[in-house]
Amino acid sequence: MKQHTEILIMILLALLYVASAAAQDNALLMFKLKPGATGKVCMDCHVNIQETVKKPFVHTPVKSGDCTGCHNPHTSSHGKLLAADSKQICAQCHATVIPADARSSHKPVAEGNCMKCHSPHASENRFNMLRAGNALCLDCHKAMGDTLAKVKHKHSPVTTGCLTCHLPHASSKAGFLLKDEVPALCTGCHKVDKPIFIKQHMNYPVAKARCTACHDPHGSDMPSLLYNNVHKPVASKMCSQCHNDATSSSPLKTKRSGSELCKECHSDMVNSTFAKNKVHWPLLGKQGCLTCHNPHAAKEKGLLKADLITVCGSCHKDTIQRQEKSLTKHDPIQNGNCMACHDPHASNSQFLTNKPSIIDVCGKCHDWQKHSTHPIGDKIKDKRNKNLTMQCLSCHRAHGTEYKHFIPFPTTSDLCTQCHDQYKR
Amino acid sequence: MSRIFMKYAVLGFVLLAATGAAGAERLKQVTAVYLDDKGGALAAPEGIVCDAKGGIVVADTGNGRLLKYSFKDAGISGGSEVKAPQLTVPTRLQLDSKGDIYALDGKLRRIAHLKGDGSFVGYLDLHGVPAPDPQIRSFRVGANDQVYLLDILGRRVLELDPSGNFQRQLPFPAEAGFCSDLALTRGGDLLLLDSLASVVYAASKGGIEFKPLSKDLKEYVSFATYLTTDSRGTIFVMDQNGSSLVTLGPDGTYTGRLLALGWKEGQLYYPAQICVSDGGLLGIADRNNSRAQFFELIK
Repeated sequence: MKQHTEILIMILLALLYVASAAAQDNALLMFKLKPGATGKVCMDCHVNIQETVKKPFVHTPVKSGDCTGCHNPHTSSHGKLLAADSKQICAQCHATVIPADARSSHKPVAEGNCMKCHSPHASENRFNMLRAGNALCLDCHKAMGDTLAKVKHKHSPVTTGCLTCHLPHASSKAGFLLKDEVPALCTGCHKVDKPIFIKQHMNYPVAKARCTACHDPHGSDMPSLLYNNVHKPVASKMCSQCHNDATSSSPLKTKRSGSELCKECHSDMVNSTFAKNKVHWPLLGKQGCLTCHNPHAAKEKGLLKADLITVCGSCHKDTIQRQEKSLTKHDPIQNGNCMACHDPHASNSQFLTNKPSIIDVCGKCHDWQKHSTHPIGDKIKDKRNKNLTMQCLSCHRAHGTEYKHFIPFPTTSDLCTQCHDQYKR
Repeated sequence: MSRIFMKYAVLGFVLLAATGAAGAERLKQVTAVYLDDKGGALAAPEGIVCDAKGGIVVADTGNGRLLKYSFKDAGISGGSEVKAPQLTVPTRLQLDSKGDIYALDGKLRRIAHLKGDGSFVGYLDLHGVPAPDPQIRSFRVGANDQVYLLDILGRRVLELDPSGNFQRQLPFPAEAGFCSDLALTRGGDLLLLDSLASVVYAASKGGIEFKPLSKDLKEYVSFATYLTTDSRGTIFVMDQNGSSLVTLGPDGTYTGRLLALGWKEGQLYYPAQICVSDGGLLGIADRNNSRAQFFELIK
């Protein structure tokens, strides 16, 4: 029975081939085309392609002499006489490269820039890749390349190839183009029931924990690929300093919640924070310190979850966006140094600034006192509002505006005539 | 003839009422208050509350005191100081049915209870509240003097009786980001403001869960931190970082944006609390302009 089915399929395929060949012959006859007009004729002029197709991996339409699969032989609205926009033409055949249920997709793929990685004609590498192995990925992911070149310990699959863990086009299962969710992806290789694994994790049941909360999946200078900044209790394997005992019924539960737990060691910092008039609200929330910090290990100093722009911007998106749109950029924000002006924990001042006076905050970088300036200070009243004195924010918005010099008005004269209305035109 | 006239009059009234309810709010500036009754300047006020009789209390946060004013004959007068050593950082304010003042101390995160004359009664002690110990970000006093607390540690709204006895709790929606404020409608529904998602959630009176009332308001709001309602059900959302006031209809649809950033009167600079009296007076604690501003609501 099985043999009959196979024979039937082969006959159908043969018929399909004959039918398509016949159709092609019909087209040749109808348009009085020369033999090989859909491709071989092209090679008579495009001699460089003749050399290209000698490479070991050739794009199927090129191999079958079907240049018209992608190019229009006469005219086109697109470059290189392509039959469609260069960002869409590949999808005409490779439509399912990004599945409908994709949870992450590679930016060049999503944008239709297939030729950033593939040669459309032929290549020395499998899948017509422009370069083989990680080199191609690291052409764009330069920071990752730099990191991998420096780190003491590389994750061995990184050396084998990025595609050990990542998919090149899209992933239906996880973010970051990962082949599977963490920890399933990791536990495919790292068996969680092995004694060494259990011992390394101090007998805590971490099989379902997110491995990348502590370990850098690419490489690190720290043993066990821990991120470069490790929380002291983790480094000294004193998990029970924060968590219940490994043998308890809820071993991963912390002994206290929120900032109360952190206070046990960081009492000076927590006490001074809570003694101030304005505490950054997230510190008082359920996540407490962990709103911004990782408890175990982190790439960033101070165990921050990410760079400050990302961490602060996760809540203060509007403020970060204001800087992005601003015609004039403020260096501390550009450099991700929010703490140049703000205390992220608490302050007695508005906006959680790290000095009581705005003039002093700005004066740390802007030496206004050393050159002529508009009168500012506690003795200079703001003409627009008798309860305010002139300071930097009387005219500027520190995170930028849609106008130059952080001013909240389209022109300087619009700003100045707010107070000096005798000069209004 | 008179019956026909009556019919059209009723129809006209209904149409007017309907369009009025759906129409955008407008504000007419009444005045701005900069000083107390002794000529002392306000500093970074973060709280304001007003009652139907024209009584107004301002939390003069930067000076660590409360100031009492009254609204009469289209003007604001008074400015007597209320200072209690137990309340050093007054922020959000509420009044109960007897005219007693409730003030959230921003440093202690406790609610101070003062008599209408300013004498300190005590802190609102909480009884029987399930763990964890609340961290109060905001609060409201209801029509029957029940107290609603916004607990950011427990991610919930707590309902207490006037003595602070636990009545019930409503969890924040699981998807909520950081909730900055809650409000009560005149009908007793609870509103919850998610500053990060820029969404207003609602729980019907006696209901057990919050559901989204508004859509994502990010296209209208930068970073909202306070909300309140008026007798018509209009929801006022204070956009602190955008320095303006956004209005929503009772169903949460966006209806308009009022006021803008600036230092002159009629403009706002990082405003904090707002109050709307049943008489149509709208007061704003204009924090970074160190003043309180008052407007008449015009429909």
